[in-house]
Amino acid sequence: METFILVFKVLGFGDLCLYPASFEYYAPASLDEAIDLLNKHREEARVLAGGHSLIPMMKLRVLRPAYVIDLNRVKGLKYIEEKGGEIRIGALTTYYDVITSDIVKRRVPILAECASVVADPQVRNWGTIGGSLSHCDPSGDMGSSILALRAKMVAKGSSGERVIESDDWFVGSFQSALKTGEILREIVIPTPKPGSGGAYLKLERKAGDYAIAAVGVQVTLDGSGSCTYAGIGLTAVGPTNLRAKKAEQALVGRKVDDRVIEEAARAATEDCRPTDDPLRGSAEYKRAMVGVLTKRALNKALADAKRSR
Amino acid sequence: MVKVVKTRVEFEGRFRDEYTVVEGEPLEGWSPKSGLKIVGRPHPRVDGAAKVTGSAKYTHDVYLPGMVYGKFLRSPYAHAKITHIDASEAEGLPGVLGVYTYKNAATLGFGGAEKVFKQEVTYQGDVVALVLAQDESVAEDALELIRVEYEPLRPLVDPEEIMGLDSSKDRIVGPKLYERGDLEKGFAEADVIVEESFKTQAALHNCMETHGSVAHWEGDNLVVHTSTQSVFNVRSALSEELGIPQSKIRVVSEFMGGGFGSKFGAGEYTVVAAAAARLLGRPVRIVLDRVEENLATGNRSQTVQWVKIGAKRDGRITAIHLKGLVNVGEDGWVADLGGPAKMMYHCPNVKVELYGVKTNLVSSTAFRAPGYVEGDFALESAVDELARRLNMDPLELRLLNYATRDPVTNSEYSSKALREAYLKGAELIGWRSEPRVVRDGAKIRAKGVAGAIWWGGGGPPAYAEVKVNADGGVTVLTATQDIGTGTRTALAQIAAEELGLPFSSVRVVLGDTITELRSPGSGGSQTLASMGPAVRAAAHDAKNQLLEIASQVYDVAKERLTIREGSIFRSDGSVLCSVGELLGNLGDFSVTGRGAREPNQEGYMVNTFAAQFAEVEVDTETGTLRVLRLVSVHDSGMVVNPLTFTSQVEGGVIMGMGYALWEGRLVDGESGVVINPNLNDYLVARCSDVGEITPTYVEPEDPHTNSLGVKGIGEPPIIGVAPAIANALREAIGVRLRELPFTPERVYSAIKGINPRPTTAKYL
Ligand SMILES: Cc1cc2nc3c(=O)[nH]c(=O)nc-3n(C[C@H](O)[C@H](O)[C@H](O)COP(=O)(O)OP(=O)(O)OC[C@H]3O[C@@H](n4cnc5c(N)ncnc54)[C@H](O)[C@@H]3O)c2cc1C
Repeated sequence: METFILVFKVLGFGDLCLYPASFEYYAPASLDEAIDLLNKHREEARVLAGGHSLIPMMKLRVLRPAYVIDLNRVKGLKYIEEKGGEIRIGALTTYYDVITSDIVKRRVPILAECASVVADPQVRNWGTIGGSLSHCDPSGDMGSSILALRAKMVAKGSSGERVIESDDWFVGSFQSALKTGEILREIVIPTPKPGSGGAYLKLERKAGDYAIAAVGVQVTLDGSGSCTYAGIGLTAVGPTNLRAKKAEQALVGRKVDDRVIEEAARAATEDCRPTDDPLRGSAEYKRAMVGVLTKRALNKALADAKRSR
Repeated sequence: MVKVVKTRVEFEGRFRDEYTVVEGEPLEGWSPKSGLKIVGRPHPRVDGAAKVTGSAKYTHDVYLPGMVYGKFLRSPYAHAKITHIDASEAEGLPGVLGVYTYKNAATLGFGGAEKVFKQEVTYQGDVVALVLAQDESVAEDALELIRVEYEPLRPLVDPEEIMGLDSSKDRIVGPKLYERGDLEKGFAEADVIVEESFKTQAALHNCMETHGSVAHWEGDNLVVHTSTQSVFNVRSALSEELGIPQSKIRVVSEFMGGGFGSKFGAGEYTVVAAAAARLLGRPVRIVLDRVEENLATGNRSQTVQWVKIGAKRDGRITAIHLKGLVNVGEDGWVADLGGPAKMMYHCPNVKVELYGVKTNLVSSTAFRAPGYVEGDFALESAVDELARRLNMDPLELRLLNYATRDPVTNSEYSSKALREAYLKGAELIGWRSEPRVVRDGAKIRAKGVAGAIWWGGGGPPAYAEVKVNADGGVTVLTATQDIGTGTRTALAQIAAEELGLPFSSVRVVLGDTITELRSPGSGGSQTLASMGPAVRAAAHDAKNQLLEIASQVYDVAKERLTIREGSIFRSDGSVLCSVGELLGNLGDFSVTGRGAREPNQEGYMVNTFAAQFAEVEVDTETGTLRVLRLVSVHDSGMVVNPLTFTSQVEGGVIMGMGYALWEGRLVDGESGVVINPNLNDYLVARCSDVGEITPTYVEPEDPHTNSLGVKGIGEPPIIGVAPAIANALREAIGVRLRELPFTPERVYSAIKGINPRPTTAKYL
């Protein structure tokens, strides 16, 4: 429904608005309080993180929540830490935090590369990883890196926490696996093994724009140069961020040379499901670009993987 | 002594005769060799700090006590009849002070109300209703409560489609014809003929400050703050619509966030704000939002062009034929695409045929070098193809066909240094010293060139006053506008130079009709060439009076006195007194000098010229294109301020890059709905998109323009950018792209030889 309204609005129908419809605002101090409020107002409420998706939709009156629950005063949702073979990122961590984190740079540089091509500095200073993932925009960049890393999402609701695999997270356009009343609390990434490398490549009309297409690649090579892990996520070429499974299969268990890379790139063009759009290009063009970007991202990720052995 | 003269005045290539009142004697012309001390130097903008700190007050910053907000409801359809409209619910919303539709528009109390509020809407964004409310948020709530039923009618938005429809002949305007020589003979003499067709898109101005006005009444006097390129145009429109004398209207535009041709008129928002303020007895503010701005305030016309050029084997051009369709929207004007074809080259046989086509889109309007940007893209791309066919260097071909007299009138130019500009640009870009094409993996870099011609000579009527007050401070009074170009700074330099007083002592007051100092609209690249000489003349008059006063007070012959750096000197070099001392002795007396722009000299063509060179990099696997370098060399006469010159050129070049690579209004061909009326979808260049720009100039002496020897620089920088990029791209990929903008998919498809599927979304 939201997508439909969004498209409807983008096409210029409807009213042209600058101010949201009126709403009530809460700024709870704890996560439990936030969850209580959310469960009280259910569908009528929205949580606010960086606001860089929520507020534009509200001011265009595409969304009219009666209650806005601001998470920014909730303590303990903003962190990046590494423990027991996992990297844990709090939902309120901003793109900027991701880009500048030493842990990210050392362990999962793909995330920093990805966050740094989202929008512009203003958006990166406010937008959060949790907001991006909850928003579930098929053109959102973070989702593809999360798929490539096979991260898990930790959601919290009134009856406790549950862990959601990235493969199950992206339910539909602007629809995550969160249930009404749940808040995304944390993202958990398995720390990549030595011999890993990653890359996120985005093709955009111009700097700061949403992707025409983008590809996130994470690989691990063993001592003999065989690929033991491949994760590939695709942006803006399907109803959600997609995992390029055939392309991953073309890599795992093989010594990766140019021929294998070509094969994987070709497989990725079969994995994607792009549609025509008048602003960014035809489905055929986007499909071809997925091939080019996959090839380039693989070359980059593999070079990094070899270097980190 | 008042003198009336008749003179020819040019505005963007259109001429009219004007009677103008001139005062004073002609001044000796300035030139780059005059040894000037303040003019010609890089002075930072006098209002730069105010602008970056936010203290400069733009129209958008005007908030008055008790102010009411007006907001328009606009048509979602490109063509429809309103079958039912009910505003009662909106009227009942607390905080709403009035709702107007075509039914009660007449009660707003201005002449053209029924033309603003229509029952049949003819483009998306056409006005349906107005809400007046205590704040903008309530106004938007009220807009949602207005119930409108539309009967959609079939919109026509594509000129090519309309040309083929027998039923739509009344939508075609023209042809507008121009002919010289014998076209057939010209082509018969040619050894080589190129025929090319081109399409250019509608571009949206996207001024940082959207259109808007704040109106309030002080008794029966109206004061309007508005973002405009012409305070006097706004005043006369208000006088006519509201039926009150001009003397009771004050129009103010102290700081202005860009116009680019879209802000010459009052606009319905201004008239409606003034009428509503009269009705309510409270200030009324109507400021358009970005989407309204992009749907309802005009655009550069979309065009379709066919160019045919014939040449001898040695490169001499024998004939040029241009046919063009111009999408004028509801009722816009046919911009002169033919300018470059008529004026650029020494060619005896030229024909231009232009058709305007009316469509269900907002009326097109002037946009930075209207017509010439579109026409130069077609002509200079075709000339580049001709060079290829002739196996000639494209720069050599341009120099070979260089016009030394205006080919249209056969008159002399006041000055022309385009040849020098070409040579300087060639040097800077390494046209001869570096390879034209470089391959680097999937990427190719290449260079291209294009020339540009424009107007910008200015002329009367333009008046100024220069006041020197008791402490030696100077106030320059004019009613011209500084639309962001740096007019304030340039006028301060001119006054200081002529007076011999320090630059820092000059304050420029502008953008206010209360001065009653007639000035032209700030457009057509004419502000400096029109206003500058008037300010110089006023400063000269003030200086004369100062010397006269000094001569009488100190009993020294006037001829033996000069003013330098704030002091009056005797001819032996000794100081007589400071200007402050002189006037201080007379009580708080201030000197008022008056100046008028002198008439244009007869028999000369005043044109501005540019040579533009681009270096691009194409990613051949993705089709993305980057402009790595753009060298823009200008002949705009003498440069008053190299810093503001640089800003103008950089801004124009960036806008030209946007036009070449990203910008373009996308319209759904069936519904006539604009797909990208916001800045998220309509892409304007940002710093990170722009490569290295080299703005520079050749500075010819020009004794025939005006007492400053200056010509305009506002529009020339945008004109040749798209063709220079197009020619570089052609050099890089070996294929000519004939449709703007050069989106990644278009470039990719050209490289791969793919014909993209037609879609209903079109650049119109
Ligand atoms: C000009 C502009 C350009 C942009 N370009 C890009 C781009 O190129 N690539 C890109 O990926 N994104 C882009 N974005 C979107 C941007 O990245 C958003 O910031 C991001 O999608 C949402 O993060 P946020 O923190 O701002 O979330 P918000 O806007 O606060 O929230 C978004 C949605 O998620 C929900 N939500 C937020 N946090 C949680 C949580 N912890 N648990 C449950 N629900 C939650 C909210 O209720 C809301 O529905 C752009 C945005 C703008 C304004």
